[in-house]
Amino acid sequence: MTPVVECVDLWKSYSGRRVGLKTLLLRPEAARTSRFARRWALEGVSFTVARGQGFGILGANGTGKTTLLSILLGTVLADRGSLAVRGRVASLIEIGAGFHPELSGRDNLFLYGAILGMRRLEVAERYRAIVEFSELGDAVEEPLRTYSAGMVARLGFSLIAHAPADIFLIDEVLAVGDARFQEKCRRHLQEFRKRNGTLVIVSHDMEALAEVCDEGIRLDLGRVADAGPIGDLIRRYHGP
Amino acid sequence: MNAQALELLYLLVRKDLKVRYKSSILGYAWALANPFVFAFVYWVAFKYIMRVQMENYSLYLITGIFPWLWLSIGVTQATRSYQNNASLVKKVRIPRAILPLSSVVQEMVHFLFALPVIVAFLAFAGGFGLHASWLWQLPLMLAVQLAFVYPVALVFAVGNVYVHDIEHLAGLAFAMLFFLTPMVYPISMVPEGLRRYFELNPLHALMDGWRGVFLSGAIDAGKLAYAIACAAVFAGIAWFAYRRFAPRIAELL
Repeated sequence: MTPVVECVDLWKSYSGRRVGLKTLLLRPEAARTSRFARRWALEGVSFTVARGQGFGILGANGTGKTTLLSILLGTVLADRGSLAVRGRVASLIEIGAGFHPELSGRDNLFLYGAILGMRRLEVAERYRAIVEFSELGDAVEEPLRTYSAGMVARLGFSLIAHAPADIFLIDEVLAVGDARFQEKCRRHLQEFRKRNGTLVIVSHDMEALAEVCDEGIRLDLGRVADAGPIGDLIRRYHGP
Repeated sequence: MNAQALELLYLLVRKDLKVRYKSSILGYAWALANPFVFAFVYWVAFKYIMRVQMENYSLYLITGIFPWLWLSIGVTQATRSYQNNASLVKKVRIPRAILPLSSVVQEMVHFLFALPVIVAFLAFAGGFGLHASWLWQLPLMLAVQLAFVYPVALVFAVGNVYVHDIEHLAGLAFAMLFFLTPMVYPISMVPEGLRRYFELNPLHALMDGWRGVFLSGAIDAGKLAYAIACAAVFAGIAWFAYRRFAPRIAELL
């Protein structure tokens, strides 16, 4: 079976730091050196994810996890290597990217849905289920600025949970809302996997990773330092 | 552009309009106040102090300033659209060309909202009537101005991610062009030798088109063709620049 995510030898460097006109005009050599000061964010990363798998990405801060996820999502381009992502992708990299505080929960749901690539009709069809999942009730008619942070996260996650997707890319957003809602989210992700959905998760929450993933890699300074079943991976990373 | 992108554009524009009109009691009135106050100040300064000799001078101002504000505010807003929506660029995958477009369309909608007021002003202040030809002239001018402004906005927006100074340059450029286009005196006042350079300015062709439509229901075909030709050239440049530079903006924001 062809894997749904296939990365072969990905390389990425953030060379293009933004330069001001002043630097360009007055100190062109400074602009050049800062632009081409090579530092690889990813160095030859390869892995595959099979359909229906939960795939965890571990590693310390600044080792390239979010860069890798951004490349999978397509917002950042790799410099070298090949990448294939087969299926409809939904990103949970930042919950509620594009939410506006003055709009009601309902308006924000439709806007966020469009931002995630859903049609209005798709959101409308799922609207009741989304609101029910969020447990926000009548609060969806209130402006978002009246929400607590937990309520905002509930609204965002509930929409994403109902987005028509084959692959979820998740960046450290499993800690949504209170303990009960977190549990509900994890259950939802597991059900998603049972329907043959694929998860790619970046997290520092080993317990959550162990629960929803079965395979993974550990990144260290842009390289794949370890790979294998998630339990072994965590054990080798943290010790028994 | 596919249907999904159109829906996204619609929702983005609606969001901005809703927020803008919701947050103040006189939302719609404020949107109109700005161009009218501008026009009034220029009217006093140029009609009574500088003594510009021109018939229907107030109408000349009003019919120019509204489309001008759409153009200049649209482009300056669009220039910052990637910075202002950084999370939409970095954290989700949307067609990025849509963000500057939504700034431009938003200002276009403001202009559309103001149209009845412009027409009422023409009727009451100058005794000008409606023209049947507006049925095709207004949509035509809207389409030409949108086609002209959007490529410029797109190039500025992408460029501003790379070189932050563009937003300052854009502000300066529009302040300068307001007087060079010209907006507050007729082009016939420009000395003979300079006038042909002024007429090379495609913004003049556009503004002249709007004034022609509003005041006499007629468009100068030559100037309109020139504006369309410029729009086509800008579109080509924008297409190239967007393909070349847009893929990397997420990592520069």
